[in-house]
Amino acid sequence: MIYSSELIKGTLKTIVLKLLEDNNRMYGYEITQKVKELTFDKIQITEGALYPTLHVLEEDGLVTTELEYNGKRVRKYYTLSPEGKSKTKEKVSELADFMNTMKFLLDIKTQSA
Amino acid sequence: MYRINDRQIDYILNDISARGVGMEGLQLNLLDHICCIIEQELEENGDFEQFYRAVIPRFYKDRLSEIEEETHLLLTNKNYYVMKKVMIYSGTFSAAALSSGIFFKYMHWPGASIQIVLGIGIASLLFLPLLVALKVKEQQKAKDKLLIVLGSLSAIMLALAILFKIQHWPGANIMGVTSPAILALVFLPIYFFGGIRNPETKVNTIVSSVLIILGVGLFFTLTITPAGIKVESTKNTISFLRSEQLLENEGQQLVKYAKNENVVKAELEPGDQVYQACESLKSEMLQYATGAKKINEDFEVKGTLIGNANARDFLINDDGAAAKLRVLSGAVFHYNSTAVPKHNLKPIPVKWTVVDPKQENIQERVVSALNDIIQIQMLVLQNNREILSAGQKGLVSVQ
Repeated sequence: MIYSSELIKGTLKTIVLKLLEDNNRMYGYEITQKVKELTFDKIQITEGALYPTLHVLEEDGLVTTELEYNGKRVRKYYTLSPEGKSKTKEKVSELADFMNTMKFLLDIKTQSA
Repeated sequence: MYRINDRQIDYILNDISARGVGMEGLQLNLLDHICCIIEQELEENGDFEQFYRAVIPRFYKDRLSEIEEETHLLLTNKNYYVMKKVMIYSGTFSAAALSSGIFFKYMHWPGASIQIVLGIGIASLLFLPLLVALKVKEQQKAKDKLLIVLGSLSAIMLALAILFKIQHWPGANIMGVTSPAILALVFLPIYFFGGIRNPETKVNTIVSSVLIILGVGLFFTLTITPAGIKVESTKNTISFLRSEQLLENEGQQLVKYAKNENVVKAELEPGDQVYQACESLKSEMLQYATGAKKINEDFEVKGTLIGNANARDFLINDDGAAAKLRVLSGAVFHYNSTAVPKHNLKPIPVKWTVVDPKQENIQERVVSALNDIIQIQMLVLQNNREILSAGQKGLVSVQ
């Protein structure tokens, strides 16, 4: 099952921040591949959503960027700023709390094997 | 693994910008991303162009420029919340400052004017412009956007006109007339003819238009017209000339007494100093108010009318006038402390005149300030006559 883009939209910032926390320095393509790999292809981040989000994170000062030139190609690497690090913790715990609430609200029973 | 060459990089970049992605950062992001996909997924001897055409639709639903639009949307939405917050805080602050300022004004407490200035200033320069920016964004039609801009523009101008008026800054009158004029002559026609056609908004449009006309009408009812200003200035000038006439007559009376040899000139000296200081300040003020140092009966021909220029600001802030005022104040003080007790005269009243040491008590209008000065001169002349007539009777000792 691939999740709908509506579901992913609200959590994309958190996903990107958490990945940067775990992997220190990443570029856009790497982020999409990493998410695919970690979720066994269940979550596929679209480029159309990823890059605008990265742009906003940069504008908000949560990530810093570095450009690496390789001939005509330029790769933009993203790293968490100190402010981004504390924001990541905040966002992850907010999402965890939200998921618990949803579980309760929708009365989802944890599947036992 | 496929290796991309420089020519292909240029090809991708050109294609991306042709598809409407203009932000440089976004172009580089996409270029690198596409290169990665091609290098990972295309076989070593695969067809680059064919593969590229197959890959690019992965990036969008309808067209590639969606990515850039989404980026702009996310960025402006962020500003939107900041603007909204600032608007609410500045609006609340200005309303509170203005209300409190008016209360202070009525209680005659200090600090009223700074609150009023801050209240009107922040409302017209921060709150209203932000409100316009946010409201314009909400409207779809160009006509509605224009109406919001026009309406707010005249509101901002009216608020500033009142602020400028109370602060005696230049340009208050022109703004005060322009803002309701914009409302009545530009805003109203667009609003009225736009709204009257739609049966749903017809009644509201008529009612609001009537209210606007009434509001603007009431405002102009209160406003003094250019012709009214001319009449007022003429009255001021004639009144000034009448006072000057009285002064001249009094002076001529004095000349008859002055023939008395019993009184030495020294006795009249303190009074003369006050009189001369008055003359000098008077001509300085006339120059400021009318452009001429002296005005005569032909003032209407020459256009040297005494309008409602602000005397207090001039007397305090103009270096020349302030110096002359200091000379006059010193002369009055000297007169009141020497000649007055010696000849048992009534002192020249200082309070609420131009020579009041409390600057905020100085008359605001030039015509009143000139009147003060002439009254001081009249008092001096009458006192001098008193001294001379006492001398005639032998009451003043000859030294």
